[in-house]
Amino acid sequence: MANNEEKLVFLDDLPETYSLEVPAGENKTLRLVALKQLPAKLHLVVNVHRDALFRGAFVDFTDVSTELDLQVNLLEEGAQCDWHLAVLSHGKANKSFSTSVKHIAPHTQALMSNYGIAREQSHLVFTGTSAIEHGAVKANTRQEAKIIVFDPGANGLASPILLIGENDVQASHAAVVGRLNEDHLFYLESRGVSEEDAKRLIALGYLKPIERYYDDPALVEKIDAVIEGEIA
Amino acid sequence: MAELTIKNLHVSVDDTPILKGVNLTIKEGETLALLGPNGHGKSTLLAAIMGNPHYQVTEGEIHFDGQDILAMTPDARSRAGLFLAMQYPSEVPGLNSADFYKAAMNAHRSKPMSLFEYYRALEKAYQNMGIPFEMSKRNLNEGFSGGEKKRNEVLQMELLSPRIAMLDEIDSGLDVDALNVVAKALQEQQARGAGLLMISHYARLLEMVKPSRAAILINGKIAVEGGPELIERVDKQGYEWIKTELGIEVEKEVNAPMNTVSIGACATRVGTNDGK
Repeated sequence: MANNEEKLVFLDDLPETYSLEVPAGENKTLRLVALKQLPAKLHLVVNVHRDALFRGAFVDFTDVSTELDLQVNLLEEGAQCDWHLAVLSHGKANKSFSTSVKHIAPHTQALMSNYGIAREQSHLVFTGTSAIEHGAVKANTRQEAKIIVFDPGANGLASPILLIGENDVQASHAAVVGRLNEDHLFYLESRGVSEEDAKRLIALGYLKPIERYYDDPALVEKIDAVIEGEIA
Repeated sequence: MAELTIKNLHVSVDDTPILKGVNLTIKEGETLALLGPNGHGKSTLLAAIMGNPHYQVTEGEIHFDGQDILAMTPDARSRAGLFLAMQYPSEVPGLNSADFYKAAMNAHRSKPMSLFEYYRALEKAYQNMGIPFEMSKRNLNEGFSGGEKKRNEVLQMELLSPRIAMLDEIDSGLDVDALNVVAKALQEQQARGAGLLMISHYARLLEMVKPSRAAILINGKIAVEGGPELIERVDKQGYEWIKTELGIEVEKEVNAPMNTVSIGACATRVGTNDGK
């Protein structure tokens, strides 16, 4: 059986540029957590080889400005990438997350899923390019970039890009940036839930799903406590 | 018995007046059918009673059980015992249905339910509505069909046991089986002593629920009030007689008499141009 390595990284420990090789047939999971501190710049490069799987999960609940740049290269046949990001930006943070994947070989698969909430005076940007190169037949790529802007002073932008150079592929994307939807709020409130609780429920719906990518119960509890504490 | 009293209610949507002095009372335990041509303010009335912020009350009063409803937020109105099953329920991404129902049910109680009590209530409601319990794990209304959303509204009504439930075209989009399930749920609410204020364009549901009273809303006002015989008359004759008998000119065109769409057909309203 392949060597399956799991790595949990608190971002205080991370150098500005970090690269990861996922050798043929292996699974590697990188779990990143930023609850208080975060480098101003972070460049991650992941190379995934034949039939290997890279799983990444990133929680950023800080009010620290940052620029993250992730580049995943699916170099050989059957390489897969499964990426999930949950951001709760607040304070005066200026955050930009660029998550890109390149499908170079056939039968490669990628999911880039980014969810965020922008509060207070923060700015949150999700970008990234999912590129399927010529020859990467049967590649399957999906991008999700969703941001809810909670407060009048906050701002969000989601503009993922698909670049497709091969016919026989599947590609999809969903990008949504929106203010808190008044109809949703009224719907929830009309069932007896207060406005604050309704906002909280909507926010939890965005952030909580990330927890399933963290399997350390103590850490999940910690993430949970931050979500519950921040969204009160 | 608590009373919902509406006095001289004027409501505008985006500065366009829709309701122009509605007077109406409904008691707990009564079932009132709200009739009237499309575009004359039926849905507006229900939305205003529940406190939808898109609808501005410019004049008038609403009281329920001695409380000034207009001074209350929608959630406080719900906790006071009002419920609105919406014509177009929202899809809320990422919000788990069961989590939401729990929050809503607990909001109606002074102390939170036990997990056991909650699961039993939830399971029973899903069973009554003929919805697979698995659906409770899905996000609130997300990707639900029109009929599933309507059943989901009735399910929430059951969970919250309102004193007065308002139902805005709860029967549109339902097939015959679902209609029977919904009718049964409404009959249970009647038996429990709840009041029902219903808008429906199809006689079928009203035949099963048997309203004790009916009111016809025309030109933003209640033109006629009466017993169930009014429902039958509108069903057979439409609204033309109102002009000849009462001298009320129907300002907006009446496009669709009742029963132009048969039960079992798709929910789209044929020949109408109104969502209000």
